[in-house]
Amino acid sequence: MYPVKLANRYLTSRVIPLIAVAAVALCVALVVIVVSVMSGFLDMLRASGRTLMGDVVISYPIRGIPWYEQLIDTIEKLPEAEAATPLIDTYGLVRMPYPEGAEKEVVTANVWGIVPSSFNRVTDFSNALYWKPPATVDAAAIMSPDDPRLALRENILNDGLNLIKSDTSEPGLVLGMHVSIANQRMQDGSYKPRNPQWFMPKQVVTLTLVPISAKGTIAEPRERVFPVVNEFKSGVYQIDKNRVMISLAEAQKLLRMDAGTLYDMQAPPNADGTLPVLGTSPAKVHKVLVRAKPGVTPDQLQTAVFAAYEKFAFDIAGDPSKVVMAPRVETVNILTWEQHLRDLIAPVEKEREMMRILFSIVYLVCAGLVLSIFWAIVQEKTRDVGILRSVGASRPGILWIFLQYGLVIGAIGGLFGVGLGWLVINKINWIHETIGQDAPAWSYTTSFLIAAASFIMCMRGAVTGVLLSTLLWLVLGITMILVGVGLLLHRGTLIWDPSVYYFATIPDQVDWFTAIITWFGAVIFSVLGASIPAAKAADIHPVRALRYE
Amino acid sequence: MSNPLLEAKNLHKTYTLGRVQVPVLRGASFTLAQGEWVAILGSSGSGKSTLLHLLGLLDECDADSGGVWFDGNPVAKLKFSARNAYRNQSVGFVFQFYHLLPELSVLENALLPNMVNAGMGWATKRGPAQAHATELLGAFGLSHRLTHKPAELSGGERQRVAIARALANQPRVLLADEPTGNLDTQTGTEILDLIAAKHRKGLSIAMVTHDPAVAARADRVVKLVDGRVAL
Repeated sequence: MYPVKLANRYLTSRVIPLIAVAAVALCVALVVIVVSVMSGFLDMLRASGRTLMGDVVISYPIRGIPWYEQLIDTIEKLPEAEAATPLIDTYGLVRMPYPEGAEKEVVTANVWGIVPSSFNRVTDFSNALYWKPPATVDAAAIMSPDDPRLALRENILNDGLNLIKSDTSEPGLVLGMHVSIANQRMQDGSYKPRNPQWFMPKQVVTLTLVPISAKGTIAEPRERVFPVVNEFKSGVYQIDKNRVMISLAEAQKLLRMDAGTLYDMQAPPNADGTLPVLGTSPAKVHKVLVRAKPGVTPDQLQTAVFAAYEKFAFDIAGDPSKVVMAPRVETVNILTWEQHLRDLIAPVEKEREMMRILFSIVYLVCAGLVLSIFWAIVQEKTRDVGILRSVGASRPGILWIFLQYGLVIGAIGGLFGVGLGWLVINKINWIHETIGQDAPAWSYTTSFLIAAASFIMCMRGAVTGVLLSTLLWLVLGITMILVGVGLLLHRGTLIWDPSVYYFATIPDQVDWFTAIITWFGAVIFSVLGASIPAAKAADIHPVRALRYE
Repeated sequence: MSNPLLEAKNLHKTYTLGRVQVPVLRGASFTLAQGEWVAILGSSGSGKSTLLHLLGLLDECDADSGGVWFDGNPVAKLKFSARNAYRNQSVGFVFQFYHLLPELSVLENALLPNMVNAGMGWATKRGPAQAHATELLGAFGLSHRLTHKPAELSGGERQRVAIARALANQPRVLLADEPTGNLDTQTGTEILDLIAAKHRKGLSIAMVTHDPAVAARADRVVKLVDGRVAL
């Protein structure tokens, strides 16, 4: 009973345990924040990878996969597959409608040619389209009055989904949200054009693609003007910054991958001077994306798709009407989305594990802090130990007093640390936005006012001859001056650069697994930190402890 | 004389201070009969406090030679738990500088030996122990101070709390080390009166002092000179 009572009294009657709690809390918060951001980053990468490209990707770049409709039919008959969609994946140049004058800006872009209906079944394309009128009156009510979405025409979403400008029936193009520098991201995460005339869904762009022959040579570039029918926001900055989408048919035409007649170049010309026809050259695609049925893992689907592709290639080879063969399965990449993005995900995974290991050192710092604080506490309480031993307290009883002390400090500090970590993680984007802006005038004014008040108190302390008070007020005054000057000079700092970290926003979900492990770590290391001085205290002979000065 | 309650025979004790060996006790012997009050008188450095600490097992190193017997049993052979029990129940200590725990109230300080003794069973033993401690503190004139912290008490009051704590488990021997050494004469007399009252009820007392006037209150006086009992 007495260890509990004394540990409780020691905890509640001193300032030093509060310092220990604060130290533990800061260490835990540090680990929780860093690892949560890293884990969230990895989760976002994974989530966006899957929603952007389905579960399995079949790819045969440059030359393309012929007879892909037949391949898709074969795949969609698989019990493991939900849907499959063809894809052209290439690079091109986009001439933007800005600035004013003849010299328009040209950007390089990753161009995806898609079949919107099936693409939408494999990926979350429809959800990624940004410009859509508010779904309900309530949704409209919470938007800012100058939000451009309030003035959108009804058919903008369908135009984006179909990649057709419905007014003119022209093939349209969808831009990634950050391809155009005219889009400005607001603090609430919404977008509006910096200048209303550069609202992209009202503009046209010119797309230039460069066809590449089967031999790998570059043919004459082809260009076409597309009206922008919508913009999409996948959440992955690199994609939103670089990708544009057009219809598969338009992409195939521009890359000369559409269907055509295949002539026999080796045979002598016909009487009319034309070359003999060998057959049909089918349209080709670079990739086929496949989505798994619910409950089917990407690995299971990958195995099934591999077998389906083998069958497809075999069927094509055995069809005498088909002159162009499908590439052999050994030459085609059939990868799960995770394997496809391995180059991106693996370094982040390794980085997170490295962070976990590196930040484990923080536990040692935590243990060191607790150890030194407890050392001071035990020194201060040596005589109490003697008193307790003189009334018959056992060594384990003494040990338990201080171990409880460590346990409570670790548990409460850890809890505060997790809470602080949760708070920071939840508000991390707000914090980042705030740091990214100039400090408001009230912030440095307040700092200077506090500094002035502190110096007055400091002078008062000096006059009355109280050294500690004078020193503390002086330190506070100098600190507030430095804070004020820092705020005054602050001109916004971009810490989370989306061009480096892929996402426009910082992950804001707490990694609860790490949080719980960190909390346990804080408790264990606090108890370990307390155990050495506690054992030292328990070992003191009563008479020496009583005589301790 | 009947068998002594507490006995020390031919105690030798040397402390090491750096490289210097300091002999403190050089064959000191001591007896305390049941119900007896013995004053151990000596000048500073004579070894009287060391003798008291060895009698009360406050010095866990034991004597270099010689031994201590309580109720006829050698205490040197006691295990750790038995030594703790001896300090908790057989003897009670009163120190010159009171040695109260500053975080605990007067009542809690007086209850400390009971709490240590009860361990996890404190919830069931708390009632009677609290009643006894409250009665004891009331008898010492501290009824109005039960919830006060030691820092709020005078020296005399603190020593009375220390005596109440020493008697909490109704030990058979009170070991007092200069209990009036830090008090003015009048307060010291009051403290000695309290101790004398307990002695009259059968409590055996070994009291260390350097003050002959205080020693005069005892039944018997043992003089220590240079670590030996002066004949």
